[in-house]
Amino acid sequence: MKPSACELREVWVAYGKTPALRGVSLRVEQGELLGLFGHNGAGKSTLLRTLLGLVPVQSGEVFVEGVPVQKRYPPHLRQRIGYVPQILRVDAGVPVSARDVVMMGQYAQIGWGRLPSRQHHKAANRALQAMGIAPLADKPFGHLSGGEQQRVLLARALAQSPHLLLMDEPTNSVDWQFVRDLAKLIREVHETNALTTIVVSHDAPFLALLCDRVVLMEGGKTLAEMPASALLKWVEQEFV
Amino acid sequence: MWMSLWIEGFMQRALLATVLSGVACSLIGVLIVTMRLSFIGVCISHAAFAGALVGLHLGISPLSSSVVTSLLAAGVLGPLADKGNLSPDTAIGVVFSASIALAFLLLALLPGPKSEALGWLWGNVLTVSRENLWLLGITAGILTSLVLLFFKELQAVVFHRELAAASGLPATAIFYGVLMCSGVAITASLSAIGGLLVFSMVINPAATAYQFTYRLSRLFLLSVLFAVLAGWIGLALSAVFNLPSGAMIVLVSTAMLLVAVALSPKRRAGGGGVR
Repeated sequence: MKPSACELREVWVAYGKTPALRGVSLRVEQGELLGLFGHNGAGKSTLLRTLLGLVPVQSGEVFVEGVPVQKRYPPHLRQRIGYVPQILRVDAGVPVSARDVVMMGQYAQIGWGRLPSRQHHKAANRALQAMGIAPLADKPFGHLSGGEQQRVLLARALAQSPHLLLMDEPTNSVDWQFVRDLAKLIREVHETNALTTIVVSHDAPFLALLCDRVVLMEGGKTLAEMPASALLKWVEQEFV
Repeated sequence: MWMSLWIEGFMQRALLATVLSGVACSLIGVLIVTMRLSFIGVCISHAAFAGALVGLHLGISPLSSSVVTSLLAAGVLGPLADKGNLSPDTAIGVVFSASIALAFLLLALLPGPKSEALGWLWGNVLTVSRENLWLLGITAGILTSLVLLFFKELQAVVFHRELAAASGLPATAIFYGVLMCSGVAITASLSAIGGLLVFSMVINPAATAYQFTYRLSRLFLLSVLFAVLAGWIGLALSAVFNLPSGAMIVLVSTAMLLVAVALSPKRRAGGGGVR
């Protein structure tokens, strides 16, 4: 049987004494485009951070490509996870260009004390071009608009040649009229690169447009799951 | 008359000390300024001052004891912030207040005249010893090598610590390493420019350089350049007007910062603040 792209089994995570994930189980198949939907504080971002190994797991098991990662995260697996965070609050004068940010995605793969090779630069250029931001490559990152920064961070993740792409609230920094374009772009990236993608959002129409399957989260638990096409109907029934 | 001073041994040692502490302080200053840890300089320098006082009490080398306490303070900062879920600035504030309290307590308990102890606070680049020069040279050499060797890792952590960790870099270890290196650089520079003044030598050249570039590599280079310039101009002015050297170096570096802010292309392009 093919291993899942990632899986959580009865995972508990807490920030201090406040539980953020309460026994979450979730299996994401390879090649799937999954949406995590819920209110702020539902535990969606914590779930992504758990998959990245950024928060300690209190109990339960976390698997990436069939390998348990909650105790020791094998570097080769972590380096193949592309992560696009919520919009970053960085100083407008931060001494880093868009190209630098895209290159950074590969630094762990390059290794300590080594300089990036021509191939690493090529991968960064390809990612910049794929995201349509090649002309912005040498601009300071802090001078880009929210949407441009989002594309740079997506290019950064792509340059890593990821197997798994995790995106946290990608619509936060994008004007509503560009949400459809963003969904199209993510779908294209997902399909062209044969990725497994998990997108966290509280924007139901966006997830309905983008994903194959949606998991609903509330209070640190998974509540239900459904095909993405059924999400808007569910939201209508619940909240209208 | 003052021109002949430059061939004196003490003046040449002072010039060398200024270059070496300029390199050590300004390299670490770039990381401190870009990571928004500016208060760390004053925190570590007071921890080092407290350490020097411990040395004077115990009759051991104040330099060695100040290295130990400043490394201790730097070593506590990261875990205190992370485990206590505090911002690094809050952790720095806690360690700073504890260090200054300890320093005052030890100063009050010190029998006899306090001039040697206060010398650690003010420093004097004109009386820098051969031992201090070696320490400064080794520190500047190690820090330069580390910056060159791990430039890309530092750049990733400067940009965003969590994002660096998410991509598989040991971002926490790198961050703690920067804190420890700050402790070493600041302590090594103490005897040259003093505990109070070392703070501005860490911050001012880096903040001056920050006005002119969006590239981290240039930021390091310009910061070193401004630190060495401030050191030499300050030293020259102190020799000409017979004024305290440490204070002159800091005043020159402050003046350079003010001029840089006035001329800053970044400021004009709206490159300050968080967007």
